[in-house]
Amino acid sequence: MSSVMARVGIERRLLGLADLALAVWLAILAVVTVYGAATTTGFLTVSNGKAILTAASFVGIIAVGLTVIVLSGNLFSLALGQTAAISAMVFLWTLQWGLAAAILLTLLLGLVIGAVQGFAVGAWGANPIIVTIGAAGLMEGMAVWLSHGQSIIPPSNETSWERLGQPVFGLPAPVYVFIVVTVILAVVMRRTRFGRQIYLLGENRVAARAAALPITLLTVGAFGIASLYTAGSGILIGATSANASLLLVGSYTYDAIAAALVGGNAVTGGRGSIARTAAGAIFIATISDMLLLRGYSTGGQILVRGIIVVVVVVLTNLRERTR
Amino acid sequence: MSDERDPASTSGSRSPLVDASVAAVILEVVDFSKSFGPVRAVRSLSLDVRVGEVHAICGHNGAGKSTLVKALVGLVRPDEGVIRFDGQEISLRNPHDAQAHGIALVNQELSLVPELSVEDNIFLGGLDVPLVYRRRRLSEHARSVLDQLGLRHVQLGTSVESLSIGERQLVEIARLLVRDARLLILDEPTATLSKPEIERVFKATRDLVAQGRSVIFVSHRLDEVFELCDRVTVLRDGQRVATHEIHEIDRRTLIEHMLGEMEGARAMVDHEHAVPGSGETVVRIDRLTVPGSVEDVSLTLESGIITGLAGQVGSGTSTILRALGGLVPNASGTVEVRGKKVLLNTPRRASAAGLLYLPNDRQREGLFLGQSVERNLTVTRLRRLSRLGVLLRRRIQRAARELATMAGVSLDRLGSPAASLSGGNQQKVLLGRALQLEGTALLALDEPTRGVDVGGRADIHNLVRDAARQGTAVVFSSTELDEVLDLADVVVTIFHGRIVSIVPRAEASASAILADMTTSHASSTEASS
Repeated sequence: MSSVMARVGIERRLLGLADLALAVWLAILAVVTVYGAATTTGFLTVSNGKAILTAASFVGIIAVGLTVIVLSGNLFSLALGQTAAISAMVFLWTLQWGLAAAILLTLLLGLVIGAVQGFAVGAWGANPIIVTIGAAGLMEGMAVWLSHGQSIIPPSNETSWERLGQPVFGLPAPVYVFIVVTVILAVVMRRTRFGRQIYLLGENRVAARAAALPITLLTVGAFGIASLYTAGSGILIGATSANASLLLVGSYTYDAIAAALVGGNAVTGGRGSIARTAAGAIFIATISDMLLLRGYSTGGQILVRGIIVVVVVVLTNLRERTR
Repeated sequence: MSDERDPASTSGSRSPLVDASVAAVILEVVDFSKSFGPVRAVRSLSLDVRVGEVHAICGHNGAGKSTLVKALVGLVRPDEGVIRFDGQEISLRNPHDAQAHGIALVNQELSLVPELSVEDNIFLGGLDVPLVYRRRRLSEHARSVLDQLGLRHVQLGTSVESLSIGERQLVEIARLLVRDARLLILDEPTATLSKPEIERVFKATRDLVAQGRSVIFVSHRLDEVFELCDRVTVLRDGQRVATHEIHEIDRRTLIEHMLGEMEGARAMVDHEHAVPGSGETVVRIDRLTVPGSVEDVSLTLESGIITGLAGQVGSGTSTILRALGGLVPNASGTVEVRGKKVLLNTPRRASAAGLLYLPNDRQREGLFLGQSVERNLTVTRLRRLSRLGVLLRRRIQRAARELATMAGVSLDRLGSPAASLSGGNQQKVLLGRALQLEGTALLALDEPTRGVDVGGRADIHNLVRDAARQGTAVVFSSTELDEVLDLADVVVTIFHGRIVSIVPRAEASASAILADMTTSHASSTEASS
């Protein structure tokens, strides 16, 4: 994104304009944030900082996983909320076999769910939006059917899971998990063959095919990772709320997509990074927190988030188009 | 053009027949400069185009040709300098301005809408299509222009997507003629055309200048420059080197102007290379058939031998290579690589078998334009440049440097996006990813020098020869006779998806190959030239 290249004519002028607009926008955001931070009572406190980070973690883990799909040029997954919810349910239910088994089984399930969707997209060229909407419906149906529509609660004799939601050195465990998995994925995307090939695939699918890149495998990997990360977040969500049902689906899908977009990743793939998404997730959490403290209604919070997402998407899209 | 039309944009002073040698000047560019960031694309360039002449612009890739052309059609605004059209200083802020003045561009990336009919395309976006659409009169006009371009057989209602590339190009020209453009800029117009189609374009061009219009002809094909043009301006490094009447200059001088003396001398060296082949059969193609495109093609490709597939656009040469690259899943027939049969239904399989295909459309299918040159060069060998899936960054950098050096791409550009390179350098990057690649049995190059200038072309040919010398079998397709005769050790001529002849280059003659390429000896529709 930041690389400078020689461009021509109109495109150059447009680009200058898009860059300028983006800079202005960032400046406005910065001013509003600083102003908000200074004038919102209770915002600039340690405990509020922790609250922001904690809130950012659950969505952030899902969002950085989703970023691999975005970078691979496969748009988004619309099944993330459902994956998170059933992962939470499966985790709490499998706790009867012990914490380690529950974590492993849940992550494995997440990986498989994602891999199957990735296979449909990669091998058959199915549209990722349609595939993931279908998968979301399937998962909801299965979850209702198997749980008889009831909430899952952890077995009463098992308490080891509670540690997952509790603070360690003052910060809740999910924050550490968020940081660690983000760093791991950032390194994977930058330093591994898989990561490099994902960028190339997202840049130009036709050329990737002609260059004999393993498109199916890469797509399976992208969706697998996104789903694996989502399952990981689902475990933390389950452990934190100690009770899991489809109500948890909530707005995770939308929030994760919003984080990836606000971070400025190219919707068309090939350009962007894990760090951008992580920053996007933290930014959104910050704004939401500020609005909450200032007494905005839920509707108002969603509205402001929506506006931020739309403006960033328009601006980054303009930039991409003029490259 | 039909005579009853007299569009408002035409000034009264225009006379239908103008003697080129004393003619007035239609276009004057004075001290035009343009920089893109630190790159000075054009430096105080001055040039004039006379009424009723075909004026050639020649130059190496990066000489500033395309910047000049873009400035003339309002896609680039000059940093400095003045453009005068018909004696008046004009400012071209966008393509619309250019069109309003009667300046029109035909380039390789055609702007036709494939789904629409020929007629709709001709009038699409026209400034002088009246609000009340008088279809019949427009149709007659379109018809006469198409006829003039030799497209008598094309119906107005035919959708453009059913036309050949060459025909589309002519439709594009028709579109500009209908608009009564006074200065036509033809940017590499013949790159994708067959010989009869080129003849038609040339004839149409001559008719146009006879009517008092002017044409700027940008081409790498020097033969065409000498055949068609009245004057030639040579650009190098963003500056004008010389302008000559065409009869004052010979080919050698022109090339020297384009390349500078040193390189010119090198480019003129005769390519007398002995056939280096070891004669070992690497790839055997047996009865390759692709429905509607290729029929019963059987070929043997030997290590160290460069085989050239000569054929017009649409003759099937490209499809044969694509099939070898695993990109044509419905191909039938058998392909053996080093004696082993391989199933070529995916590019992965083809590449695993050692068949390396490089597409002809480098922008769409060849390169990852937004990614760095380094990433583009190393895409084919990431496996060897990583351990346990982790990229070895030092080795990647070293490999990219070696490949860039070999391919003749500046090391400074390794970090730049491929999109920022000129066409010739992009092609070198594409070729670079196939160089020195372990396990490559066959290099299949689809139009390896399409849209590349003389100097770049010579470089690319040398790279291909080096690859062959190291024992790789090479097969390439080309629509250009010069290229086939220059590069191929064995010339295979394809017409309508079938092999017409297979001739060692020593025995190949240009006229025989041309005859094989253009006719099936019996049936010919347009063989009047």
